[in-house]
Amino acid sequence: MASPPWEKLPPEIAAAILHKLGAVEILTTAQKVCPTWRRVSLEPSMWRCIKMEHSRATGRLYDLKKMCRHAVDLSRGQLTDITIHSFCTNDLLLYISQRSIQLSRLCLQDCHDIGGDALTAALKNLPLLEELHLQNSSFDVKAIETVGRYCPLLKSFKLNSDVFDPEEACDLEALAIAENMHGLRHLELYGNKMTNVGLKAILEGCPNLESLDLRRSINVDLVGDLERLCLQRIKDLKLPHNYTRRYPWDTHYDMFCIWADVSDSEDDFFADGDSASDCDDDYFPLNVLLFYD
Amino acid sequence: MAAETGTPTTLTLKSNDDELFSVAESAAILSVTIRNMVEDGCAGGVIPLDNVDGKTLASVITYMNGISAIPADEEKKKSYRDKFLSDKDFETLADMVLAANYLNMSCLMDAVSAKIAQVMEKKSVGWVRRKFGIENDYTPEEEAAVKEEHKWTFEGVETDDDN
Repeated sequence: MASPPWEKLPPEIAAAILHKLGAVEILTTAQKVCPTWRRVSLEPSMWRCIKMEHSRATGRLYDLKKMCRHAVDLSRGQLTDITIHSFCTNDLLLYISQRSIQLSRLCLQDCHDIGGDALTAALKNLPLLEELHLQNSSFDVKAIETVGRYCPLLKSFKLNSDVFDPEEACDLEALAIAENMHGLRHLELYGNKMTNVGLKAILEGCPNLESLDLRRSINVDLVGDLERLCLQRIKDLKLPHNYTRRYPWDTHYDMFCIWADVSDSEDDFFADGDSASDCDDDYFPLNVLLFYD
Repeated sequence: MAAETGTPTTLTLKSNDDELFSVAESAAILSVTIRNMVEDGCAGGVIPLDNVDGKTLASVITYMNGISAIPADEEKKKSYRDKFLSDKDFETLADMVLAANYLNMSCLMDAVSAKIAQVMEKKSVGWVRRKFGIENDYTPEEEAAVKEEHKWTFEGVETDDDN
């Protein structure tokens, strides 16, 4: 069969294909190809899920903040899921929250320019939020209290950081989670400063917790009753010293690979931390030394 | 005629260029279109599939058999789909997406759409038009409106608008 007449295809096929393109590709290319693709590109259903990241190519060419606003406008209030990598600002976050009452998942990665107040203000506009994922992004403990008050459906919270100081211990975040996020089912606190005090409070305050990721939260010392309680209560538990394959945003891993030249032997070298038995204590100190030397 | 219970049932599918294919019903009903025909009792004889040619149908049946042999393990199914599509050229992908849509096979549709979208990544508008054989049938007014909206490019950056 000869190549099909693409512009005459049913719009649902064009929609299925364009759905697989990222926001930047749709706005810069697909919608300009032909009127059918443009109509499909402008449908609010195309913008229920937006994922935009600042890459070397897109960041230099395009004003991503402006593009993101445009994408949010196109969703016409139907946006349910947004992921922004590294370019979100206070203004943009507020803009999104004021226009997206249906938002159920907000994921910010490497967004250092967001102030705690802006995050708090935005969360007040998101009553249907179920998942809040903050990875290496600026954060204020007030945001947790806001979630408790304004986002009653929250069931998944990630507060991950790959910048950590093993000397410093702080339970403020953990205690705030325990006090305000009682409906949590999934919690990731990768590289958190909390201690056993914080962990105990979380176990008490979040009775529905099914998965808990404590990797690199090395002030937690899981022994005795606390360890038993964790293993009993949590179906999917990742322990502080379960150093595993690289986390998607874990830049330190790349540095480590360059220095130690182990990238080809990743599978042999790293324990796969899918279960508590995969703990690899021998390896972890070496890892820390390399990062902090 | 309703399918008999107990014994594996085989269906006969006919492509639009009159090729006949035998396929296990359990695999064929991955297609919602075919499943509906079976449930409506229309599958006793030959099932004509007017929108799919023999070459494409053979390929779809290979997929049906392969994927239905994998137990409920989404990882394995995904890796089968990836492998199945890895050697398909663009024209074949185009035929597959039409067939998947007609046969109402959402998983195949999803995978082929993603593969076609991959082809478009980081390409210019002109390149996509040529590759997809799409005429630039914008009216001048529409074309102007599209360009007018294109204001998020940083100043001084050359874009590959069209060619």
